[in-house]
Amino acid sequence: MQFKTFDILPHGTTIDFVGKRRIAVVLSLIANLTILAWSIGHGLNFGVDFAGGTEMEVKFDRALDPGDIRRSVEALGFKDASVQTYGPVGEHSFLIRVGRIALMSQADVTRVVDAVKARFPVSSWAFDPESGDKIDFQFGGAVADRDLLAAVEGAGVKVREVREEAGLTAGSRSFAVITQGIREKVEHDLAQRFGDARPEVRRVEYVGPAVGRELRNQGFKAILYAMALIVVYVGLRFDFRFSPGVIIALLHDAVVTLGYFAFSGREFNLTSIAVILTVVGYSVNDTVVVYDRIRENQGKFKGRALTDLVNLSINEVLGRTFLTSFATALSLVGLLVFGVGTIFDFASAMAVGIISGTYSTWFIAAPMTIWLEERAARRSAARPAAAASR
Amino acid sequence: MERSWHWRVGLIVAVALFSLWELVPSWFYFRLPPDERSGERYERSVPRWAPDSSRHLNLGLDLQGGILLSMGVDVDRAVKAKVARRADEVGEHLKEKGVAFTGVAPAAGGLRIAVTTTAPAEVEKATLDFYGAELYSPGGAPAGQVLFAFKDQVLRDFKAKAVEQAEKTIRNRVDKWGVSEPDIKRKADNQIQIQLPGFKDPEKAKDLLGRTAQLEFKICDDENASLDALRTQVPACPSGRDGLTLPLPEGGCWTVENVELPGGGARQATLLAAGKRPELEALVAAKAAPLLDPARNAVGVGEVTVGEEGFRQTYYRSYLLRAKTELTGDYIADARASVDNSGPGSGRPVVVFTMSPDGARLMEKLTTENLHRRMATVLDDKVETAPYIQGRISGNGQISLGSNRSYDEMFQEANAIALVLKAGALPAPVTITEERTVGATLGPELVRKGTLAALVGLGAVLGFMLLYYRGSGLVADVALVLNGLLVLAIMSMIGSTLTLPGIAGFVLTLGMAVDANVLINERIREEMRGGRTVKQSVQQGYDKVFWTIVDAHVTTLVAAVVLMQYGSGPVRGFAVTLSIGLVASLFTSIVVTRAIMEYLTRHDSARLSV
Repeated sequence: MQFKTFDILPHGTTIDFVGKRRIAVVLSLIANLTILAWSIGHGLNFGVDFAGGTEMEVKFDRALDPGDIRRSVEALGFKDASVQTYGPVGEHSFLIRVGRIALMSQADVTRVVDAVKARFPVSSWAFDPESGDKIDFQFGGAVADRDLLAAVEGAGVKVREVREEAGLTAGSRSFAVITQGIREKVEHDLAQRFGDARPEVRRVEYVGPAVGRELRNQGFKAILYAMALIVVYVGLRFDFRFSPGVIIALLHDAVVTLGYFAFSGREFNLTSIAVILTVVGYSVNDTVVVYDRIRENQGKFKGRALTDLVNLSINEVLGRTFLTSFATALSLVGLLVFGVGTIFDFASAMAVGIISGTYSTWFIAAPMTIWLEERAARRSAARPAAAASR
Repeated sequence: MERSWHWRVGLIVAVALFSLWELVPSWFYFRLPPDERSGERYERSVPRWAPDSSRHLNLGLDLQGGILLSMGVDVDRAVKAKVARRADEVGEHLKEKGVAFTGVAPAAGGLRIAVTTTAPAEVEKATLDFYGAELYSPGGAPAGQVLFAFKDQVLRDFKAKAVEQAEKTIRNRVDKWGVSEPDIKRKADNQIQIQLPGFKDPEKAKDLLGRTAQLEFKICDDENASLDALRTQVPACPSGRDGLTLPLPEGGCWTVENVELPGGGARQATLLAAGKRPELEALVAAKAAPLLDPARNAVGVGEVTVGEEGFRQTYYRSYLLRAKTELTGDYIADARASVDNSGPGSGRPVVVFTMSPDGARLMEKLTTENLHRRMATVLDDKVETAPYIQGRISGNGQISLGSNRSYDEMFQEANAIALVLKAGALPAPVTITEERTVGATLGPELVRKGTLAALVGLGAVLGFMLLYYRGSGLVADVALVLNGLLVLAIMSMIGSTLTLPGIAGFVLTLGMAVDANVLINERIREEMRGGRTVKQSVQQGYDKVFWTIVDAHVTTLVAAVVLMQYGSGPVRGFAVTLSIGLVASLFTSIVVTRAIMEYLTRHDSARLSV
């Protein structure tokens, strides 16, 4: 029978993965700690999803300097504006991000309230710095919304809407004064300054700071839940002896994927959480393949040292571990070439996660089991010895 | 061949045909330009033998353009407003019972009610006898005052109701606009999320949704002749024997109506009319408002429909109202559509409402004081109707819909109004906590790029399998294409939404689906190296990796399901696509490729390029 296949990786390899586990663990530990330290110290570039704020994608007709745009946005009073080019250079698209600031400073609010108090019988007022664009007024008597608007604008704050709300008590009138939003301000300003380049606001995302925090916490929680569930599943299907290896490998892959966002400075947002979750779910696949083989070989070669078994198993499935990861990574090629913004980041981070998953299977997850076995063996060896010495 | 093989092939063919059939509506849907997809042209283009035309793939907000808003309901304010209302009612109740007190007002940050009185014991008894289910006396009140606090359950109830009613109101309004496939759901923390695909004007959406729904009762100020001055400032409406001649001139005009005055007698009251509501509103602001004292008067706008069925025309007219809102919809306990069985409008659909006990008292007072005046029912800033108060109304009232449309239409409208009345007009202001707008030009571009990316990814994977595994690679490729079709078909069937991350998820599942075939083929190679026949190797290969493949799919599925719980919008779309893709991949990689491989290796001497 003729047999003509080629293997990307030769079969019958005898690479000593287990022997290199110490170096691998040290290297991975350093890498992981560096990433975590960097993420915490330097901070991730949180997108509006998590940081709160407003993000606008603006397309122009001709090339513009992002620095000019940033300066013009900053001139509007948004001190922490960030402007970056978005997508292919030829499209002249920019991402303008304005972060966590209240539209009205406390000083603005005081000025507005004083101006309104001077003209109308204000019985109470309220301002929520979280939303930053709304002041609620209660009046003891009649007030016309036109006059109220004039009073607020007289204090130097642009108003988008004065909205009457149901009075809290009989005879009282209640109004909400809503100031112009960031979007209107920026859009208006860009149209004035760069009118010849025909700015077009293609996308706007606004997330309130409280919502952002909530999303972020939930996102990290979701990753932990998914890890826990996967570990339980693998434990039930195989053996809980394998669980520590799986946990460590999962944490490793999640952190390395996070590393992509930490070091590239790309935006970390809801999609990033989706990538990390997917990496967590996917990278364990390789580990499962190896564990399956270890179990199969344990039955086949009774009495062989575990170190040998693990090495043999990894080597036997070396080709497929590599090929599965390669095939999945291959599917991302299109996204890497044509993907813009978050989708490009999705594909890159996923690729990083896939590579990390393969690495961690070979050098972390499988060798980890040996460590645990050896510890268990030492302990059971120590017990009779202790008993004898008594 | 085994018998089970025939069954399996039958199943595979059925699944493939079903997938193609399910994709028929989507095919016709995406062939049309975006503007016409939700229209009649699409409905007509779908062949009769195809699945229901609603079963097509939807494009998410990020691909289609549109707006997503999260609105936070200000429950604290809603509660304060409720407390303030209760305070009013307690005052009315005490007056009725003849208990001496000098003032009643909300206290302690608006969550308690303080009654100033010289007879605290009496006040406490009279109040708790009636409101004991809601209130209790916490004590600790300064001398000359009685404090009432709300039971915790009652406050929780106020809050829950505020959010629930805000959601209903938003739903009602969105329904009114006719946005196709809006998605409104309540989220944690008193948040309501609204997705309006294809909606082009975010400012308008925010404006309309941000306003609190209000049903208000206002008295028409028919004695006030201030607006008569308009007759010299605005062109007169052309009119014939049967009323106004339509269409009205652009920009609006003035006309008169006969109004009966409460003291007897009648007069010709001046009003403004225009063909379009914004025109009328502009005219009112420019001409009528300067003639009025804003503290005393306000101008309401109502819609009038005239003409026989088929020749129906509408215009808008103004009402001169007193500025004060006498009563709000908050006091309405129940409302339903019914048929008028008295008076000149007999047989017409009306809205019948029941006031809450406290509302009934206020309504009785209001109607007694304003007998023979007109009372306008203002719903969401539109005067629905303004009937004369013929007698005292207390517990029950009705709103007649003054116009001559068909019975069915009027009944439908009566139903809609009843719904809004019931949904309540609770003053729970909403603030926008999240807004995502995608412009109309961005979507199609992303669809184009996403499709291209998916095709390139698919091509890369297909090419690789074919090059590396040749014959069995081709088998895997067939399965992969079927997998893609199946995913799209299931998504169409359940009407799920394709988002940009969803496209990425779709691409990724193609990569993952091929993993299973890599595992199988590698195993077959291994078995063949071990010296088995091709037939045995195939059998062994599939049997031995079966559980490995299941495990691999389940772990990724776990992550996808967790993500589905967490994510919203586009990210959720990714999770849904990924989950469907994994399930489909389990079927195609294990069942489909196995049936083909078994056929190819049915003889013991079979060869296989793997």
